[in-house]
Amino acid sequence: MIDDESPNVAGDVIDLERLIVMANQIGDFFAPYPTERSREGLRNHLRTYWDPRMRNALLAHIDAGGDGLDLRVIEGAQLLREKAADKSGYYGPPQH
Amino acid sequence: MPNPRKPERETITICAYCGVGCGFKAETIGNEIIRMTPWKEGKANHGHSCVKGRFAYDYWCHPDRIKTPMIRGSIEEPWRKVSWDEAFDHAAKELRRIQSKYGRSSVGGVSSSRCTNEEIFLTQKFVRAVLGNNNIDNCARICHSPTQFGLSATVGTGAASQHFDSILQADVIMVVGANPTEGHPVFGSMMKRRIRQGAKLIVIDPRRTETVDSPHCRADVHLALRPGTNVAILNSIAHVIVRENRHDSEFIKSRCEWQEFEHWAELVGSEEYSPDKIGPIAGVDPEDIRRAARIYSTGPQSTIYYGLGVTEHSQGSTGVMCLGNLGLACGMYGREGVGVNPLRGQGNVQGGSCLGSWPHVFSGYRFVTDDATRESFEAEWGVELDSEPGLRLPNMFDAALTGHFKGMYIMGEDPVQSDPNQNHIIAALRNMECVIIHDLFLNETSKFAHVFLPGSSSLEKDGTFTSAERRIGRVRKVVEPLAGYQDWEVTVKLMNAMGYDVEYAHAGEVLDELARLTPAYEGASFELVDRVGSAQWPVNTTAPEGTEVLHTEQFPRANGLGTFMLTGFVPTRERVNEQYPLLLTTGRILSQYNVGTQTRRTANSQWHPEDVLEMSLGDMQARGLRVGDSVTITSRFGSTRLKVVESVRVNPGVIYTTFHHAESKANAVTSDLSDWATNCPEYKVTAVEVAKVRSPKPRHAESSVKHAAHREREAKEIWT
Repeated sequence: MIDDESPNVAGDVIDLERLIVMANQIGDFFAPYPTERSREGLRNHLRTYWDPRMRNALLAHIDAGGDGLDLRVIEGAQLLREKAADKSGYYGPPQH
Repeated sequence: MPNPRKPERETITICAYCGVGCGFKAETIGNEIIRMTPWKEGKANHGHSCVKGRFAYDYWCHPDRIKTPMIRGSIEEPWRKVSWDEAFDHAAKELRRIQSKYGRSSVGGVSSSRCTNEEIFLTQKFVRAVLGNNNIDNCARICHSPTQFGLSATVGTGAASQHFDSILQADVIMVVGANPTEGHPVFGSMMKRRIRQGAKLIVIDPRRTETVDSPHCRADVHLALRPGTNVAILNSIAHVIVRENRHDSEFIKSRCEWQEFEHWAELVGSEEYSPDKIGPIAGVDPEDIRRAARIYSTGPQSTIYYGLGVTEHSQGSTGVMCLGNLGLACGMYGREGVGVNPLRGQGNVQGGSCLGSWPHVFSGYRFVTDDATRESFEAEWGVELDSEPGLRLPNMFDAALTGHFKGMYIMGEDPVQSDPNQNHIIAALRNMECVIIHDLFLNETSKFAHVFLPGSSSLEKDGTFTSAERRIGRVRKVVEPLAGYQDWEVTVKLMNAMGYDVEYAHAGEVLDELARLTPAYEGASFELVDRVGSAQWPVNTTAPEGTEVLHTEQFPRANGLGTFMLTGFVPTRERVNEQYPLLLTTGRILSQYNVGTQTRRTANSQWHPEDVLEMSLGDMQARGLRVGDSVTITSRFGSTRLKVVESVRVNPGVIYTTFHHAESKANAVTSDLSDWATNCPEYKVTAVEVAKVRSPKPRHAESSVKHAAHREREAKEIWT
C-alpha cells in the first residue's frame, strides 16, 4: 500500500465554508434530541460518514474559534477527540 | 409490408431503464436485435412493458458508439485511438503517478446504476483493494442515498419492504414525490388497476402530475405542496394521527421502541406541526392534510411509494425517515398490501446501493470502520484495507477544487450533465490530472477526460440487476460486446494492469464472491436465478428462493425493533427573494430516460424532441410571456434557456422542467445545497427568475456537444 504522505498538497481538503454549512445542517437535524444525545448523534455521524481529513479540518477550525459553527456542532464535534465517546457506526436514533 | 422477420434466437434478459426491472425477450438474427418483447414470466411486469423497454433499444448500435479505447495527455489535445493494452497501461501508470505525488487518497472511483451488480461490486473492489482507499461512490448518491440512510435508521433495511404485486392488496396508496405513471409506467399500470378496483389514492407532489389526474388515475387527496416542505407536511400528517389517536399502539408496543415513539409523538404532536400552522407554510389546505392523515391511518391496508421528490432535498433523509415513522406508527409493515417503498430511477439503483459502492460501507451496508467486517474482506481480497470512510462523490469534486483529488475512474456516469451546479463540476474536472471515462458514448464529462474506455450496454453482457423491489434478476448477453469486452472484464483488466492479480472465468464467479461477502445475497447465484427466474433478497438458507415481504416478524436492527427518528422541519437555505421569486423543480417524462444518453439516440425522441418549461398562466402573464417563447432561467448559480409552455399542472410560483436533453442544461441552474446526511443534491428546489429572450440564439449554438447539431436536424425533421 502506498504511503499516504502528500507533502505537495497544503490546505483544507474541502473549502471551509462548505464544511461549515454541512456541519450546521447535521447539527440542525439533531437539534430536537436532548443535549447529550444530540452531541452523540453529531459525533457519530461525522465519525461514520466524513473523510478523516474533513473531520480534522472541522476540528482545526473549532480550535481557531469555530467561527460560523453552531454551538451544538462545536460541542458534538469535540467528542471526536474523547476516547470514551468512541463508538462503532450504527443506524437509528442517537443512543446514550 | 413484409411480415415481421422470424428471430433465430431468443434471450431472456432485463430492461435496463427504470427500477421496475421488467423481464424481456430479446429476439435476434445473428448479431442484430430485431425485437424486444416483454416476457410473460417476468415477475415484475407479467408480460407488460412501456414504450422505453419495448422500443428504445437501438442506442446499442448507434453510430455514436465508441468502439476503441482512446487516451490523451491533456484535455486540449485530440483523442488518440490506442489498443486496450495501451489504454490500461496508461491509466494504471497515471493513477500510480498521481498517488505517489499527491497521496493514496488523491484518487477514487464512481460506479453506475446502469451497470450490473457484479460490475458495481468490482468497482468497489478496485478502489478499496487496488487504489487502497475508500473514495468509492455510486450514482445513487445523487438520487436515493437518503433512502438507504432514512430507512436503515427507522426499519433497519434501506430498501423496499414489499414486492410490486403487493399493491394489488392495498386499500390506500400514498404516492409521495413520485410520478409512477410516467417514471415507472409498468408499475404505474398495476397501481391504476388497483385504483380501478377501488383503492384510495393520496398524492403529495408540488405538481398536478399524471398520477394525480389522468385516465384510470385520480387522487382522492392531492397535497400540492410548495417544493421543500415535505417534512413539514409529513410531520403534520403525523400530528393529526397522534392527536386523533389513530396510531396502532399494539403494533408499536410489540414491534417498535416505545420510548422513541413517545419522543416522536411529542415532537410531531406539538402545535408547531398542526395543519393550521403547516398549511399556509406548505401552501395547502389544512383540511386536506387532515383528510390525508385519516385516509392513510384508516387503511386497513395502506402503502407508501415515493421517489426523488422526497430524497432530493436538503432534508431528503429526514423526509424518508418521516415515511418510515408513519408506516411504523400506523402498523403498516410486515404483510402484503402495506409497507414503504422507494421507486428507483435506474435499472440497478438497488444493486448500486447494496454492493458497497459507498465510501462508508462495504457491500451489505456494513461499516468500513467495523473491524470484523473489514477483516472478512481482507481475508477474501488478500490486502489490507482502509478503515476510514472515504470521500463522497460531491466531496470528491470539492476536493478536486482544492487540489487534493486528482484522478478518477468514472464507470457509466456523466457528472457534468447529471450532477448539480454544473459550473462547479466543470471547474473541479479541469483541476484533475487523470479522468478515466468508461462509457458507451462520448458525453459532457468526457470533454474533461484523459482516458476513454469503451463500455458495453446491458444487451452485451452477463450479470445481475437488483430492481427496486429487491429482485435479483439475470442480465444476459444478447449480442457480442461492440468494443470486445464486457464492462466487468474491463474493470478486472484495469485491476490487473495496476498489479492486482485476480481472474474470473465469467460474471457468475463475481456473483459467487459477492454472495460470500454480502449477507442478503448469500444464496444468490447464476444457477439459482436461472432456475427460479429471479429472487428477492434476502436470499439465504432460511429463504432459499428469496423473500417477498420484509419485516414480517422483526426488524433487522440490533434489538429487532423498529424505531422512530425525530424529524424536525428545517426549511432549506435556498429561498425565493425579489430577485429569484420562483421555485424551479424537475422531473421526468414517459418516453425518455434520465439524461437521455440512450433514449435520445432512438426514435423515442419523436415524443419528446426537447425539454420545455412549464409555468402557470399568471406567472407567464406577469412576465409578458407567450406559449413557445424562448426564456432565460437564472438562479444564483447559473442560467439556461428553454421554451415556455402554459401549464395547469403547476401552481403559481412554481415552475417545472425535465432534463432529458443535454442542451437544456437544467443543472447549470441547480444549487449547491445537499441533504444533511448524505450530500444527495437538492435538485428539487432552486430559486430562479424567468425572463423573455428578445432575439433567441439558435438552440444548438449554445451547446458544444458534437452531436447536438445532428439531434437538432433530427428534431426539425419531426416538426416539419
